Amino acid sequence: MNTDWNALSDEAFRAKARTFFEGEFPEQYKFLPRRMRWAECRDWYLKLSARGWLAPNWPVEHGGMGLSPTKLLIYFEETERAGVGRMPDQGITMVGPTLIRFGNDAQRSHFLPKILAGDAIWCQGYSEPNSGSDLASLRTEAVPDGDDYVINGSKIWTSMAHDATHIYVLARTDKAAKKKQEGISFFLVDMKTPGITLRTIRNIAGHEEFCQVFFDNVRTPKANLVGELHKGWTIAKGLLGFERLNIGSPRRPLFALEKLELLAQARGLFADPAFVERFSQLKLDLADLGSLYGHFVDMARRGEAMGPDVSMLKVWSMDTYQKLSELLLEAAGEYAPVEGEVDFGGTAIDVLSPFYNSRPGTIYGGSNEIQRNILAKYVLNLPS
Amino acid sequence: MAEHNEHAALLAQSVGDYVQHGSNLPRVRALAQTRAEFDRTQWQQLADFGWLGVLVPESCGGLGLGLAEATIVAEGLGRALTPEPYTAVAVLSARLLEGLPAGELRDDLLAGIASGQRLPLAAWQEQPDDFGGLQQTCRAVPFEGGFRISGEKRFVAGAAAADGFIVSADSAQGLALLWVPRDTAGCELKLQVLADGRSYGALALKDAVVPRGQLLATGDAVRAALDRAIDHAAVTASAELVGVMKRAHEMSLDYMKTRVQFGKPIGSFQALQHRAVDLHIQQALADAVLRDVVRQLDPATDAAARALATSRAKSRCGDAALAITRAAIQFHGAIGFTEDCDVGLYVKRALTLATWLGNGRAHRARYARLSAQASQREAA
Repeated sequence: MNTDWNALSDEAFRAKARTFFEGEFPEQYKFLPRRMRWAECRDWYLKLSARGWLAPNWPVEHGGMGLSPTKLLIYFEETERAGVGRMPDQGITMVGPTLIRFGNDAQRSHFLPKILAGDAIWCQGYSEPNSGSDLASLRTEAVPDGDDYVINGSKIWTSMAHDATHIYVLARTDKAAKKKQEGISFFLVDMKTPGITLRTIRNIAGHEEFCQVFFDNVRTPKANLVGELHKGWTIAKGLLGFERLNIGSPRRPLFALEKLELLAQARGLFADPAFVERFSQLKLDLADLGSLYGHFVDMARRGEAMGPDVSMLKVWSMDTYQKLSELLLEAAGEYAPVEGEVDFGGTAIDVLSPFYNSRPGTIYGGSNEIQRNILAKYVLNLPS
Repeated sequence: MAEHNEHAALLAQSVGDYVQHGSNLPRVRALAQTRAEFDRTQWQQLADFGWLGVLVPESCGGLGLGLAEATIVAEGLGRALTPEPYTAVAVLSARLLEGLPAGELRDDLLAGIASGQRLPLAAWQEQPDDFGGLQQTCRAVPFEGGFRISGEKRFVAGAAAADGFIVSADSAQGLALLWVPRDTAGCELKLQVLADGRSYGALALKDAVVPRGQLLATGDAVRAALDRAIDHAAVTASAELVGVMKRAHEMSLDYMKTRVQFGKPIGSFQALQHRAVDLHIQQALADAVLRDVVRQLDPATDAAARALATSRAKSRCGDAALAITRAAIQFHGAIGFTEDCDVGLYVKRALTLATWLGNGRAHRARYARLSAQASQREAA
């Protein structure tokens, strides 16, 4: 199982990935216009896990593939090419890297195998009804009581919470702290704990992908505090670094580019020089995102914390995704608002879904405007 | 590879020192007024540092290093706005000659580049947007003593200081490269003054006679060497552009931190902050692409992959440098539009470098054409 994937040539690795994703991902879920539910993707998740292909970004010693940036990009390109759907992947993309970096041995040995085994599906308890872009103003509270912390409050825009077995939560543990960023702690919570209720929220595309989660005297053991008490903001920022790295990966815009290329071929748009110029601009925007992404993946692999400059990836990736989705609609002409797949002379393409799916990317994980504020302040050192 | 990294680190350090101590914008301004675009002592200094011989084989007195090292030098020179034609001579000409079969003339010219004693410039282009050099109307007709060359060449960067030209021309043996000294009868050089004070040479050849010994190469070898040299020069120009844009953006950011209006530094205004950030992202993309492309090209890459990578670098770096330097005028306000303000020097250099060897639009078009061919090959 401990194959050194990085020892393969890029071409050999790509061929392996292509055969695997194209051959093994279930046909009926290919190019699904929404995120996969756990019931739909469980078998696939376990198949990936059994092959050792579930966590391409984790180090080998923790059960990941330990892929180099180039190989990781190939992995993403091939998943997008084959139309592999997006699973509830917070455990892989966020929790794993965080526990590897900030957790203790007990937490790592307890939770990492559960993630790989599909026994723990994670969701993110960050935003609150009154704390969106201003996340540090959050008011969900955790109070120590015996061997536990008792959590009260509510989290919102929690993606795939209805499929999750666990949630990681930012909660206020010191209301007297001078700065709002101080006195926040990072907890791991089992969703089966009494006192947790949730409601689903229907999004603009009509899908139920995110939820509001309510905490009413929810007890979580003290052993589930990650890192130091009151220092959760540091972890959250570290985790946001991974989140921005993940959101900033080229995989989502690549999906839209694939569709756009198919549509343009089907409609003969490559004969139109004006279209070709816009298409190649976006294709290059995405290729160049790949170079910038590789630079940050390299840092992450060396175990370096993501600095504030990783926000660049998120801004560029999501802006590019939206532009691609908009060109896809434009290329579809009158078909743009048609729901579901449209037949373009034998090629069936859902042109509307990427438009919807690319909208929240500039809002979640800190809106692109907030990312620009962060970059201005911490990277360009501009005055406030 | 370890030896390579060591060279790169040493080079980066000496280039850094040069940029810090050798940057001399008054000299840049003065040279722009003279049309010389070239300062012999400065050029000799670049040669003494070994920088002109980075790509020249060791057998010809150079360092025999690669594009990684050449782009380190170029980024520093771009940052310092050095007007001497480093990329045109030490990359375009050197790579072109280095790609040809060894011979006395070729070796002499290469040695002359490394020592700083000779400035041969490649004269291959006839039409704009033709950075592949596909449209050749220039002809070399043989006679018993040598060749008569007729035709016109344009966009010869650095020509003001040239002592001769490596001219491409169609011949009975296919595409040929011939050495045409500047004072050759029938060779007329006109200089077109550019925004940054440098110039393009326009070469008119009317039955210019060169002896047989000045034929450098013919046939497929010429095409391959020319294509590679042009791509490598375009990547090196991209590195110069990265140097230009980084310095220009620093100037903008410094100004935004100190210029006070409405009682606050203008850099505290969100509208300007977001604009500055978007340009910083362009700079980061340019930097990342350049590094990736150089990594990809340094070993002998196949021609199609090399061309794709080159077009990525040149289109991103060119357009990013133009956007950043144009915005520098806006960030500086009216003072940015004055001749005295150094921002203008960066705008003008960006304009020259971003368009020489193909602008963003031309490289995107080539990228589109080549990637369509690549996917057709993949499909077949």
